Amino acid sequence: MSHLLIHNPIITKSCSIPTSRRSTPSIFPIAFMPLLHPPHRSIVPSSRSSIIKCMANPRRVKMVAKQIRRELSDMLLTDKVLQYAVLPEAALGADRYLSSLTTISDVEVSADLQVVKVYVSVFGDERGKEVALAGLKSKAKYVRSELGKRMKLRLTPEIRFIEDESLERGSRVLAILDKIKDENDKKTTEGQAEDLQESSDRSNDDWEGDDPDDEGIIYRYTAYTYVNENAYHTHCKTRVSNDIISTIARK
Amino acid sequence: MAKAIPRIGSRRNGRIGSRKSARRIPKGVIHVQASFNNTIVTVTDVRGRVVSWSSVGTCGFKGTRRGTPFAAQTAAANAIRTVVDQGMQRVEVMIKSLGLGRDAALRAIHEVVYY
Repeated sequence: MSHLLIHNPIITKSCSIPTSRRSTPSIFPIAFMPLLHPPHRSIVPSSRSSIIKCMANPRRVKMVAKQIRRELSDMLLTDKVLQYAVLPEAALGADRYLSSLTTISDVEVSADLQVVKVYVSVFGDERGKEVALAGLKSKAKYVRSELGKRMKLRLTPEIRFIEDESLERGSRVLAILDKIKDENDKKTTEGQAEDLQESSDRSNDDWEGDDPDDEGIIYRYTAYTYVNENAYHTHCKTRVSNDIISTIARK
Repeated sequence: MAKAIPRIGSRRNGRIGSRKSARRIPKGVIHVQASFNNTIVTVTDVRGRVVSWSSVGTCGFKGTRRGTPFAAQTAAANAIRTVVDQGMQRVEVMIKSLGLGRDAALRAIHEVVYY
């Protein structure tokens, strides 16, 4: 325990650590501490209000998050108790006709590995969603104990289930973008057809007739890119990277 | 565990599969295998004989982007495109393993059906 006292003065200021996935490891002075010690008050008299908050290595946090995701998914697939909580008709043996489908879309672990936020997305109608989420929340303690049995962690974290609507929002945005794209394509093809007719009717001296059409097409294109950017910005504000990747991939 | 597929003629006739591609299937099964890094969508008939398949990798995604739900959507749309023209009316969806593609592929199929 002696090395803990040596690190004492450095640790006290490193409390506000962002829990986002992209935090740079250079902030942590304790980057080389492999073990997680539970927080306790220091006995050194010079620094009175020093509470040691031990944050684990960010790479370790990511690894733990991935492992928890794997374990939870496995539990959701194989554990009968959990399946019955999510889908009441599974107990009757309804294996082929399911009313709703739950997926664990994301797992976020806090930096001290004590709180785990599990984002759950449910496919189905409103009632199915409520039933699934209520069932999961009622089984939170059971899930926590199961996780403790399966994973070798010093302190099993508290698990919170949160509903995740990002997949729905992303698909809605994509549908809107597709609709706009189709409308744009139709307009440009109609515009081109009209251009061809006009150019075949008139001769070369009527160049001014083409300009308003070109301007119209450019205007429509900028509207499309504006909508695209708008959707991109609204999605940057949310925590989910799924939407961002989808909008980037579309471009 | 081979299904009893009747063999017409001898092996010298070549592949029988290419002749069957013009069949009309009103009812089919869509298998979605959604692992963490990839999603494979296979369209088969009720007995399990594969009609067409598409995966995220064949849609042009590479690396970590293959695990995203948007990629699963494009893969599902790609797989259904060939079959929709053949007039498939009833579809059963079978989903295997847990990944982000589970939800997204289901949504994509749902949208194609209703729009």
